[in-house]
Amino acid sequence: MPGPFALFKWEAVLRDWQVFAEGFGMTILVAILALALALVLGILFGMMGTAHSKPLRLLNRIYVEFIQNTPLVIQIFFLYNGLPYAGIMMPVFWVGMLGIGVYHGAYVAEVVRAGILSIPKGQFEAAYAQGFSYWPAMRFVILPQAKRLAYPPLTNLAVNLIKNTSVMAMVAGGDLMYHADSWASSNLYYGPAYIITGLLYLALCFPLATYAKYLERRLEVSS
Amino acid sequence: MKKSFAIVLSLLFAFSLLAAGCGSSSTPAASSGSAASGEAPDIKAVKDRGTLKVGVKVDVPKFGFKDPNTGKVDGMEIDLARAIAKKVLGDENKIEVQPVTAKTRGPLLDNGEVDFVIATFTITDERKQSYNFSDPYFEDGVALMVKKDSGITDLAGLNGKKIGVAQSATSKQSIIDEMKKDNLKIDFLEFGTYPEIKAALDSGRIDCFSVDGAILAGYLDDSTVILPARYAPQLYGIASKKGNEGLTKAANDTIAEMKASGEMDKLLAKWGLK
Amino acid sequence: MSALFQPSVLGFLGQGLLTTIYIAAASIILSLVFGTIFGILRFKGRFYGNLAAIYIEAVRNTPLLLFILAFRFMTPLPPLQAGIAAMSVFTTAVIAEIVRGGLKSIPNGQWEAAAAQGFSAFQILRYIVLPQALHNVLPPLMSQCTSLIKDTSFVWAVGIEDLTGKGMIIMGRYGTTEQVFTLFAMIAAVYFIINYTLSCCARRLHAQMSNN
Repeated sequence: MPGPFALFKWEAVLRDWQVFAEGFGMTILVAILALALALVLGILFGMMGTAHSKPLRLLNRIYVEFIQNTPLVIQIFFLYNGLPYAGIMMPVFWVGMLGIGVYHGAYVAEVVRAGILSIPKGQFEAAYAQGFSYWPAMRFVILPQAKRLAYPPLTNLAVNLIKNTSVMAMVAGGDLMYHADSWASSNLYYGPAYIITGLLYLALCFPLATYAKYLERRLEVSS
Repeated sequence: MKKSFAIVLSLLFAFSLLAAGCGSSSTPAASSGSAASGEAPDIKAVKDRGTLKVGVKVDVPKFGFKDPNTGKVDGMEIDLARAIAKKVLGDENKIEVQPVTAKTRGPLLDNGEVDFVIATFTITDERKQSYNFSDPYFEDGVALMVKKDSGITDLAGLNGKKIGVAQSATSKQSIIDEMKKDNLKIDFLEFGTYPEIKAALDSGRIDCFSVDGAILAGYLDDSTVILPARYAPQLYGIASKKGNEGLTKAANDTIAEMKASGEMDKLLAKWGLK
Repeated sequence: MSALFQPSVLGFLGQGLLTTIYIAAASIILSLVFGTIFGILRFKGRFYGNLAAIYIEAVRNTPLLLFILAFRFMTPLPPLQAGIAAMSVFTTAVIAEIVRGGLKSIPNGQWEAAAAQGFSAFQILRYIVLPQALHNVLPPLMSQCTSLIKDTSFVWAVGIEDLTGKGMIIMGRYGTTEQVFTLFAMIAAVYFIINYTLSCCARRLHAQMSNN
């Protein structure tokens, strides 16, 4: 009885490497686009969270609290199987990008908000004294400083995002996890398939995680 | 509960040390061949344990279905399991049913968690390499379910469309064979569970839900229709782990006896499966 | 839509909720125990610390879904326990890092003073450093709890009928637009109430601690 890691199973993985490559490419693509969306949404909502106007701050709270307290799986299922009932039939690629982007956008918003709040009020006042109005003050004085503080948590966030792209496997999304699982289900070569998949994710995430640690250390040293 | 807890604890440590060796979950030695002395070790193991563990479906009406109101699992396949239990253990109630899906039934046999899988499991040559199958107890075919208002009446109507199938079920291959004959181009989307495929059909993500006709019947509702075509006759068999010759023989004997005595016909009629 | 609020449907979903809570609770307990152990190991051990580091880094950089699939199809565990095991293995690594961070935050002076008093390393850890460390990292630990409760929804990928799973099954039976949207709203609401309550408590706790 062949074991779960028998040699012929590994050979099958090598033979069908294109299946894994296709999934890997999709994962990277969705991750990059979702990250971009998350950053845009996060910076926008994060700034709203520190705004003077109460309604804007409320919007920030609603977005962050709702997204952060409901599972990503449910959000993706809603986009995939729920929206079509309202006539919105997005290709699964967009479902992934939108769902994962919006989800992580809430986390980025919190990081941005914390970053801005950490800047001493004196900075704002000095900027206003110089004649900057709100948005230019943000753009040229506050945000550049907040950025430095935000990089380590943002990098960790990116790692989580890459891992979370695997949710697309649950809606036949064509990412690495979907292809690996589909391949393994049809020939039952689970062992090598899952190990290769794990290594591929590691290859993406580990460098980023190490970079995050490096950024954290640099921050500790300089502050 | 305590036993599983201990297994979980030890596995937490052991998992990271899972070596890439050829570790196989081998059956107790000395099964095939020594039929002379007494009974097969796998049968003995079942008798010692006192219950027959069977993997069955819980979402296929008439075959293996869990009544949401009572929580009981019933169906033709559970009755088959009871017949085997009566033969091996003398008591048809000494069975322990374990819910399985198309994806999990193989692995559960391999790791010994169930003695038999009686779960709309189609016999194929490829699967025979990995499992022992009994003689067939039922014949079904791969069917197609579409939305009533889609106007699709046959496979040709699905040209250029999407079919949803369960991972690791045989439906995909049967349809692909059929597709090649008529030169059709159809996309396949795989999902982990049948409810997800049904949800995808409902929301329009896929145009067709394809699986064995018997299983499909469980998901029929007012908005869907099952096309009359049946592809690739599917013979259902009772599966057991390779090397468990004693159990396979018991299953075969049970089926043969039931067919000969008319029990099998009565069973199929009971569940409206004739 | 009123069809959704009958006892059988609510009961069905309720079973899913119980499963979710059970999986989450078991995983949290196991992860806290083993996470603390691994966190201490990586903080203080030489050889075992490196082993722990390999485990932690390998697990933290792979998706939870992979573990859930692997534990379900490659181990002899029954489905529910496989899900718990997968989530525990995954969350242990995360908590190990949190604990390690907490341990690092304790000033060296504490160690030295206690050693001068004659405490052994183990005693220092047990009575002085660890309680403070855990106390310091209570907020990230609690946020990890809410993450875990949300992540239990991944077990549906292997057919475990948690709240998400039961919801999807019910959706097959109640398929009008109105019912589908209502179901999503109901399920999201349940997760939201549980997690929001937890994070509010966490924030209050954090505020209290900061005041002290």
